[in-house]
Amino acid sequence: MALKLMQIAPHEAEDPTELSLRQAFELLEPKLRPPFSLTIPKPQEYSLLNKAILYGVLYECHLGKTHIKHLHAIVTDGYGLFVSFLTKVVNELYVKLLEPLKCQLIWVTKELIDVLAVGVDGLLVCLLRQIVGGDFSDGNLWLCFEMVNILLTKWDCLLEVESMILTSGLYTYLRLLADHCRQLSNPKLEALKQLEIDFCIKVLKEQFPLCLKIGRDLVRLLQDLVHLPKFRAIWKDLVLNQGEFKSLGFSGIAQLYITRTPSQYMLLRITPEMEAQLRFLLTHVKLGSHKRHQAWFAKKFLCKPNRETVIVDIVRFICCAHHPPNEIIQSDVIPRWAVIGWLLKSCTKNYVEANAKLALLYDWLFFEERVDNIMNIEPAMLLMVYSIPRYIDITHTLLEFLFLLMDNYDAEHYDILVKGVSSSFSVCVKKGVIRSLDVLTSCDALSPILKERLCRFLLGTKFEISGKLKQARLPGHFERVKNSTCMETPTPSPESMR
Amino acid sequence: MSFKVADLSSASLLETQLNSSIESISEKQSKDTYREMVALKDIVPAAQNNIDTRFILLDKASMNTSSSQGQNKTCLALVADETAAVHFQLWGEECDAFEPGDIIHLSNGIFSYSRNSLLLRAGKRGKIEKVGEFTMAYVETPNMSEIRWVPDPNSSHKYIQEAVISPHSRIFPPKY
Repeated sequence: MALKLMQIAPHEAEDPTELSLRQAFELLEPKLRPPFSLTIPKPQEYSLLNKAILYGVLYECHLGKTHIKHLHAIVTDGYGLFVSFLTKVVNELYVKLLEPLKCQLIWVTKELIDVLAVGVDGLLVCLLRQIVGGDFSDGNLWLCFEMVNILLTKWDCLLEVESMILTSGLYTYLRLLADHCRQLSNPKLEALKQLEIDFCIKVLKEQFPLCLKIGRDLVRLLQDLVHLPKFRAIWKDLVLNQGEFKSLGFSGIAQLYITRTPSQYMLLRITPEMEAQLRFLLTHVKLGSHKRHQAWFAKKFLCKPNRETVIVDIVRFICCAHHPPNEIIQSDVIPRWAVIGWLLKSCTKNYVEANAKLALLYDWLFFEERVDNIMNIEPAMLLMVYSIPRYIDITHTLLEFLFLLMDNYDAEHYDILVKGVSSSFSVCVKKGVIRSLDVLTSCDALSPILKERLCRFLLGTKFEISGKLKQARLPGHFERVKNSTCMETPTPSPESMR
Repeated sequence: MSFKVADLSSASLLETQLNSSIESISEKQSKDTYREMVALKDIVPAAQNNIDTRFILLDKASMNTSSSQGQNKTCLALVADETAAVHFQLWGEECDAFEPGDIIHLSNGIFSYSRNSLLLRAGKRGKIEKVGEFTMAYVETPNMSEIRWVPDPNSSHKYIQEAVISPHSRIFPPKY
């Protein structure tokens, strides 16, 4: 049991992935020493040899170069298998990996970038995901530094391999910078922050057409950084569509607003472990017996100092990247809106809560039925409705925030925002997320001012719901579908689920 | 999920065919790992260390130290799987090694009476290991420790259920 890759607590079972690598290493150890065999390995041996070399690279730091030479000599698949084993190590073992081995991991990753290994972009994404938001421990800041360093020094290689890795890096570091800039008196961070800023600015300035693919969440992240002079300058050019952006075929910030951010970006700020637990919660844990799981999740991921900013990323992940199938929606599994309600209640800092609400309502502002997915806006709609009457404060705060955003988020593009919010309400009714908006417009518990604003807004927009609504507001003219109450399990039509 | 790890199962399948020494390792492993697991609802009190099962730890009581050196400390815990819950006795350093939310694999465990209460434990011949966290669903009722058992009239060595004393643990009443 001597050769360990990981810190294992007493009574902890050995990890099967580690075990399989170690067994390969122990079996082939004599063959891993020079002079290396000249025979070409059979396909079966090849896989085992890849595992053995990987274990050697990580475990025998002092022989790293020898092992890599060996790998270069035997490789016949563009390093695809080796990279896939390494990716598995990062996803499953990184958290518990011994510190010197983490250095080896970064070193071998750089070697693999140099040879343009198959799948190395995926490996880098997995490493980016291991950076924990709001964690200012030395180990985590070290990984931030190593990764931004790789992105900057291997820039040309990465552009050649897969340019999306640069936009993934941009998304990651824009988000991390927001956290890092809130730590005012932390000298450890200064050099790192500078590198992070340099990287982000370089991507934005040199690869702006790629950045456009991130879509509307790029604006959300940039806005959190406009207090930094370099970002303020970029922001100004973006908003006014001038300077270098204009020449790049950029038609204005609305072009970003109407582009839905691909869901893989939402995964970037969620560690694989967090993702696994959230998906388990939203797939297997029943409403009513969910409290222990929530408490365990909070203890592990949210309750440490500065960690709660990850709530914003989790809300975005749940809305945009975790879309359960109809069987789950119609079952007694805890629904997404309830988990988001719990997360909002878990915020202790005002700016985190505001950003979490923005994350929840963001797709409402730009919703366009043809390109957007109703599942992204469904949680906010249901949370507003199902919080009546017991958690009416949630309904209040969400509606209030929605109108606040519509009025103030971007006055220049007020028309887009009004259209987005109006389409959101309309589509939620049309697709049966809720049966009708009566539940809000005739809710006694809702403050009269908000109710009036909502009615005025809905009547003022030209969408089909407004007709129904006029009827609904007159006493005795409630248009109710048979057996329908707004508290029923939502059943969006199947085509809206994907 | 968009960022997927490559499927490695076919590769490992080939390997087991390859090398006899690897095969023997794998066989030994599969014997250790895949011995038949029993669901908690099916455990029956017996004076035998023969229970292999997997459960999630829900709650721990404060520790009980029966010797001045603290070597024989024990700690009562509520554990459960998808079918039932039961009281589990942690012993010695096990008491500190496990936390609520841990998924535990028990091998060669024993379900028997200890000072009048019915407990599942590893005992001297059994072993518990943490194999994961969080990702297990559970129920808190029935609780196998809160059932009255009587000798089976048809088979004097066996126990059968006579009555439910309490649907939930009386030591760890439902919290939420």
